[in-house]
Amino acid sequence: MQSIKEILKKLCEADFVGSVGSALDTAGVFLSKYCTVRRKGNNLIGEIKGNTDYTVLLDAHIDQIGMVVTAVKDGFLKVQSAGGIDSRMLAGMRVTVYGKEPIRGVFCSTPPHLGKSDSVLKIEDMYIDTGLGVKLSDVVSVGDRVVFSTEFSELAGDKVTAKSIDDRAGCVALIKCAELLSGKELPCNVVFLLSDAEEIGGMGAKTQSFDISPDLAVAVDVSFGNAPDIAADKTGTLGDGAMIGISPVLSHTVTEMLKAAAENKEIKYQLEVMGGKTSTNADKIVETRCGVLTGLLSIPIRNMHTPVEVVDVKDISSVAEILASFVLTLEVK
Amino acid sequence: MEALKHLCEIKAPSGREIAVRDYIIEKIGDKAEVTVDALGNVIAFVKGENRSDKRIMVDAHMDEVGFIVTHIMADGMLKFTTLGGINTAVMLGRRVEFLNGVKGVISMKPVHMLSSAEKEKMPDEDALYIDIGADSRSEAETYVSVGDCAVFGEPYENMGDLILSKAIDDRAGCWAILDIINSKPKYDFYASFSVNEEVGAGAKAVAYAIDPDFAIVVESTTAADIAGVNDDKKVCSVGDGAVLSFMDRGTLYDKSLFEKSLALAKKNGIKAQVKSYVAGGNNAAGIHQSRSGIRTVAVSVPCRYIHSASSAASLEDIKSVRDLTKALIEAFASGEMN
Repeated sequence: MQSIKEILKKLCEADFVGSVGSALDTAGVFLSKYCTVRRKGNNLIGEIKGNTDYTVLLDAHIDQIGMVVTAVKDGFLKVQSAGGIDSRMLAGMRVTVYGKEPIRGVFCSTPPHLGKSDSVLKIEDMYIDTGLGVKLSDVVSVGDRVVFSTEFSELAGDKVTAKSIDDRAGCVALIKCAELLSGKELPCNVVFLLSDAEEIGGMGAKTQSFDISPDLAVAVDVSFGNAPDIAADKTGTLGDGAMIGISPVLSHTVTEMLKAAAENKEIKYQLEVMGGKTSTNADKIVETRCGVLTGLLSIPIRNMHTPVEVVDVKDISSVAEILASFVLTLEVK
Repeated sequence: MEALKHLCEIKAPSGREIAVRDYIIEKIGDKAEVTVDALGNVIAFVKGENRSDKRIMVDAHMDEVGFIVTHIMADGMLKFTTLGGINTAVMLGRRVEFLNGVKGVISMKPVHMLSSAEKEKMPDEDALYIDIGADSRSEAETYVSVGDCAVFGEPYENMGDLILSKAIDDRAGCWAILDIINSKPKYDFYASFSVNEEVGAGAKAVAYAIDPDFAIVVESTTAADIAGVNDDKKVCSVGDGAVLSFMDRGTLYDKSLFEKSLALAKKNGIKAQVKSYVAGGNNAAGIHQSRSGIRTVAVSVPCRYIHSASSAASLEDIKSVRDLTKALIEAFASGEMN
């Protein structure tokens, strides 16, 4: 049995760039220990059969924010973002460019003698240096993918930092939930969906939930964690457990069931209240076919969409345990 | 060049050069008479095959840019100031590592929560903080104290034909001088591995102590040979060899030595170029004003993205800097150049 930190490190350090999916392979190795696993497009689907035809879908997205090459010019690359990226941090940032082979790159930074240091360039006005000079066009083409390249590091206590914690933390929670459920008598089928394309609109969850056609679903994503420069009412606290989502688009029944599942097992949780849509795959799953009862669990993280996202692994454990408790106590009529 | 990688990976910002100093002294071994002065500068009298009536000082600085903790907040976050000039843009979202191995990140408000005005403006440096994962001041204090220092946390890597590292400036210079010391130099010279260049206080005491006739400053300098920059603003180019300076923000160099150095490079078939924009500064500023004035040459490695976690330079350029430095020592010592 591997610890959450070990699985998270492997999943965060793997990249997922369209059809080049080593993150899918890595997740597949872990998930297939506990259930049968299949691929559908760039989605990974695992299933544990239960005693009834009732099907619960658990979703976390496996894609990550990234960029796509739009031009190769004079030995440098231009890119645009796929997913929200704050261009203020890009100068001097290291990336991996998935050309014919993965190569290292770094965003050019403007030297101080060439302008004011507080001016902000848009990502499409920046260049990436690969150190290859004119050989670059032999290796990289327009349409190739680019991702951040930070290593995983352990911080104080149970916190860690890495790229792609959004939403590999959710993927790890699902893998850990599968581990907790494996070998148990289940009141329903449980489908684990590690879905593609959340960062660019949620097409993975939308199409796969159509295919799976669940009776009930819980999406697992990350949300904003406490930080000195963000109002406390807009964040969850790292280390205080899963954030159970409350929103008009989510099923109030499922939300109450998730709270009960946590309380029954004395698992730490906190609440996240949203006045409208959740900006997660839950919004897509809810609208599948004639509508699906859907809940949302979120893991609070800091520095979302940067190469140094920070998470407390206790919160990943909290999500896995709540989901397992939820499934095991589900009353299927 | 394994030693260069090792030098670049050492964590030693201004004022905390001990780890790099120890490594350098170990690498010099018995090849020079080594002293460490009151400020922590390493002065090595290198015995060559021949004596010279000229005293020659060759300097590289040991320190790198970094961060120093100024305050620990009640919520466990660390306020800091920079050691040396670091632009906010290259700090945001970066990993840092303290000298004791504790890791942290320079945090950012998520892009989703920024107003459109915030997206278009760099945050004030005062607003930045380091998150080491501690939830309170007392927890943070079990890992770090006010006054503790960190450096950028990115590893040494190859990138195409270049190398990437947090500390090419100026471990490349340290490597060049060490390599000369370890390859049977022809003449005696004084090597200086100095502290505190990045905070503008380097090598003055060393120049006073050595009292040289000539000084060679072996440095790293900004190269802006990147897409979108006009030729007149490129300063120098990676891959075009050792950079010779006629002027920077700290020094108007000895014109005749500058010209003779260029000619010397040409004569010896060493790739060299001229720093073609007045920017930056280095230990020459302090050295050339020492005592009654010291004739000084600066030889630099062209380095893109200098003072970031990912400075980029060419190993071939670093070798050219070493070769030109060696040729200069010999030319000064033999009286060929004066």
